[in-house]
Amino acid sequence: MEILNPRIRLLWIAQGAIAALVLGIVLAAVDQWATDVPTSVIAGIVALGLVLGIAYAVRLYQVWQFELQSDALYLERGVITFVETAVPFVRVQHVDTQFGPIERALGLSSVVVYTAGSRNADVRIPGLTPDRARDLQDTLRELAVESEADDGV
Amino acid sequence: MNRLHPLSAVTYAIQYGFLWLWVPIVLVLALGGIFDPISPAWSPIAAPLGFLAGAAYGIAYYYRFEYGITPDTFDVASGVFARRSREIPYGRIQNVDVRQGVLQRLLGLAIVSIETAGGGNTEASLNFVSESEANRLQDQIRRRTAYVKEQRRTKQRSANEGEQQGSQRPTEPDADSSDADRTGAVSGAETDTPSDPTAVPPDRADRTDPDSTPVDGEEPDAERRAYASEPDRQRRQRLFDLQARELLLYSFTSFRPAAVAAVLFVFFLATDPIIDLLVATAQPVGGPQEIGEGTATNYGILTVVSMINGIVITYLLSVAYTFATYYDFELGRTGEDFVYERGLLQRYSGSIPVEKVQSVTVTANPLQRLIGYAGLWVETAGYGPESSGGSQSAVPLAEQSRVHRFTENLTDVETPTFRSPPTMARRRYLVRYSLVAAVIVAAVFGLAQVTALEGWYFAAVVFVAVPPAAHLKYVHIGYFVGENHLVVRSGFWQRRTTVIPYYRIQTVSTRRSIFQRRLGLASLVIDTASSRTFFWGTPTIYDVDLEDAREAHTAGRKRLQSALRERARDDDLGLTVDFT
Repeated sequence: MEILNPRIRLLWIAQGAIAALVLGIVLAAVDQWATDVPTSVIAGIVALGLVLGIAYAVRLYQVWQFELQSDALYLERGVITFVETAVPFVRVQHVDTQFGPIERALGLSSVVVYTAGSRNADVRIPGLTPDRARDLQDTLRELAVESEADDGV
Repeated sequence: MNRLHPLSAVTYAIQYGFLWLWVPIVLVLALGGIFDPISPAWSPIAAPLGFLAGAAYGIAYYYRFEYGITPDTFDVASGVFARRSREIPYGRIQNVDVRQGVLQRLLGLAIVSIETAGGGNTEASLNFVSESEANRLQDQIRRRTAYVKEQRRTKQRSANEGEQQGSQRPTEPDADSSDADRTGAVSGAETDTPSDPTAVPPDRADRTDPDSTPVDGEEPDAERRAYASEPDRQRRQRLFDLQARELLLYSFTSFRPAAVAAVLFVFFLATDPIIDLLVATAQPVGGPQEIGEGTATNYGILTVVSMINGIVITYLLSVAYTFATYYDFELGRTGEDFVYERGLLQRYSGSIPVEKVQSVTVTANPLQRLIGYAGLWVETAGYGPESSGGSQSAVPLAEQSRVHRFTENLTDVETPTFRSPPTMARRRYLVRYSLVAAVIVAAVFGLAQVTALEGWYFAAVVFVAVPPAAHLKYVHIGYFVGENHLVVRSGFWQRRTTVIPYYRIQTVSTRRSIFQRRLGLASLVIDTASSRTFFWGTPTIYDVDLEDAREAHTAGRKRLQSALRERARDDDLGLTVDFT
């Protein structure tokens, strides 16, 4: 099983921090317009959100694994709900590599695999180095082209 | 890699300019309201800055959008800050659409959209390219897609011949091409003929050759081809008619949530006359004379009578709605399509291509189970521009034994012997429903604090319903790992038994929440390409032992592969169209 690049934790922590910040702004809005919320309470909640975000990011990194098996891409992930998913190559519709601004700053990239399914229609593998993402995209594309079923669905 | 037409830079710049114009305005106004140092008066300065930034982004977007045709895939790379590069294998492409609006026609531009199977968005959209480029792309992609599909068939055919060498002469090159014809005729997905002569396999000429005589091994196919080309292929063959008795039973035993919405809508539209009417109906049995007069008892009676009225009216509306919708329901077949027709005031008809059916579901609510009836639904993937897929009723209601026979005929599934989750699962539902009951009691308690309501603790009576509810949920969960199908059953109010052929599996997932992990349980989610509808979730086997879930997971994966191989060999639809 392959694990993600450790820098992905920074991305998740950054996302958690942004969420905590938004929460702080919402609380500030409540303070301004509705009832009084003491500044210390706001700071405390934001700090708690940050700590939880960090713990979540660290744990998520620990559990995230994936592997190219003989017939399928296999992934394990999830902190609250642990999910093991198999995406048969024959079901892969197309493959993306994507990265957002934070990922780019961290030198990371994601591979997104699409199937015709209605749920988990996109399977995302985050936290790959751009080279590895490119490589994985090529491999998946080749496997998908190779193992074509008669009918996409 | 190619760029879009330069004019698209202008449109992107204008589009994003006006979009981003609002970002600083909203930010300044919202943050200005919260934090004092930021003043709303800044917005006249911020807005043009936003527009400029948006326009710059639009132009950058144009420069960062690239597409290209490679030997195996169609590639699109896009994005300024967030980048995305997408590779779509030709074999997966279903449609290439070229659209032109009035303005675009004047400017000689076009939008090219590329779609693959499965519902959802367009996978690649190029707005805009020049008309000639659009035609070139459409032609190129079509040709390559056709070539890939043709090659696949050749490969399959050689595999077939390898296996059937004993019975078939090796000089026969035409073993499967009639199938190709038939598939093309039925699905319409491969109507294009490659114009590139190099892409045409040698047997294409043979196919149209009138002298080519079929050999023994392929006679059924040849017959089917003849059948397909007959003009009376369009003639409909009856499969199922809803009898008057079944229609009435269906109307009275099913309930449509839409009726609730309709009643509420009418109530909000004409609140006052309806309240007067309710007061008038409650009066003879002891309701208040007018709103605002009368004792607490009067109001209690009014509430109860009005509730009964509401329920009865909603139910009758639901019955009438179902009756009108499913009046004179007929299911038939035309070639390889199911066709249905229904409706009293307005006739609806539609067709369901059999090859697009993903799974089959038998539904029954408690009333229907009591009288021994059930309904049969088929789930399809999207198969056309006007069809988003979803569930279609194939047999609205029929006797249970008949529906089970239909299901077995249709899918060829063996009679399932259901396995239940471990009793541990029941404990989960007990806890879950207890929590729901606690929330209800807490809500009533809260209500009692702010209104004059007394005796909130009587709400605790809902706890009585918890054990039976947990038990009923538990006993209706079942699953069966069959030879060629997975059968999943769940639900008390609307019990659904879904038959999923292995070859329709898209992905399989084993899910374990923290509570399930503690108890060693897992849920298995089997995803197919039938679009998930609002109230029908993805087929899931709930709360089985982790080992069993893993076993079913592996079985699903393995049998998907073997079933696909078999299907490729036999060119089998997997469903029997004449299932009644």
